[in-house]
Amino acid sequence: MTPPGRPLLRRHLALAGMGLALAPVRPAQAQLRQYRFDQKLGRLSFTARHFGVLSSTGQFERFDAQVMLDPADPSQAEVAVAVETGSIDLAWPGATELLRSPAYFDSDTHPQARFNGRATGVAAADRFRIEGELTLKGVTRPMRMEARLLRRGRDATEGAEIAEFSASGSLNRLEFGMVEDRTTVSDLIRLDVQVRLLVGPA
Amino acid sequence: MSEPGWSRAQRRLHWAVALLVPLTLALGFLMVELPWRPLAPKFLAYQFHKSFGVVVFLLVLWRLVLRWRRGRPAEDVALPAWQRRAAGLVHAVMYGLLLAVPVLGYLSAASAPAQVPTMVFLLLPVPHVLAPDEARFALLRALHLWLAVGLVALALGHALMALRHHAMGQPVLRGMWRG
Repeated sequence: MTPPGRPLLRRHLALAGMGLALAPVRPAQAQLRQYRFDQKLGRLSFTARHFGVLSSTGQFERFDAQVMLDPADPSQAEVAVAVETGSIDLAWPGATELLRSPAYFDSDTHPQARFNGRATGVAAADRFRIEGELTLKGVTRPMRMEARLLRRGRDATEGAEIAEFSASGSLNRLEFGMVEDRTTVSDLIRLDVQVRLLVGPA
Repeated sequence: MSEPGWSRAQRRLHWAVALLVPLTLALGFLMVELPWRPLAPKFLAYQFHKSFGVVVFLLVLWRLVLRWRRGRPAEDVALPAWQRRAAGLVHAVMYGLLLAVPVLGYLSAASAPAQVPTMVFLLLPVPHVLAPDEARFALLRALHLWLAVGLVALALGHALMALRHHAMGQPVLRGMWRG
């Protein structure tokens, strides 16, 4: 019988081997580490559709996220994001005020939105799925995001190793009590996250 | 090249543009001023403003092609040379603005961070060639607005001069109306 530690060790060795193949200078860290990112390292945007043919995109200017991640194996990741709803911005005079109003995010009453999720472990190539819960306007609903490792490697400007991820998913705004303007604004709103993590030292 | 009169197509295009430009300007002010609730009229006002802008641009291109191929009626030699030169200059600037204002509107729409696509009458997509950029958006939007106001001011002067010549018995207005 194989000792309980063996398969895990073997997996670590295999991952280390993969890491060596991908980045010969740096051994892979086959364990979860905590990373933080905010609006300086990431972008959190949303897209609504209008009349079936048009769309508009806005973003949140302030958010804070914590990720438990093994950059060599993102399929084990865990993520917790807190978003300041009042930092919503559409850069269209008046639109930002509308989105902060009670009909939409009601930022005065609900200043924060949260997402907690974890990767489901099924990773196909550079893609993985994150399942979790989104809390918006005091309503919590399950939410699924499809994530992707876009790039991993040394970044000349940062002088460090970076990993770039994107994730996107859709929510039904009606479930969160945003029921106005259904002729103009689609029920389904797409969320997009782009993030650049510093995963290694300079 | 000079012709006995403006061709029917040239006259129709002139009046179509003369109608659409003030309409598009009015829609431009309206779309900004409309309240956010209900949202649909405001949203559609933006889309129709952009659509009319595209139409004006295409009609003016067509006018320039006809002007190049068919020319224009001979100028009234009774008019002082400086007036003919001034009229020629104003016409050239107006043609320039009639093309520049829609182009600047399109470029500001393309630069807008909200990234609303341009769909002519919600049917025909016009691809955006620029990436969103807030600073460029602000600059282009201001240019678009002030050149549009300048264009309409020139058009107003152009119309007043046409009426004045008409009152003095010169056939410029009749020529553009009936050929």
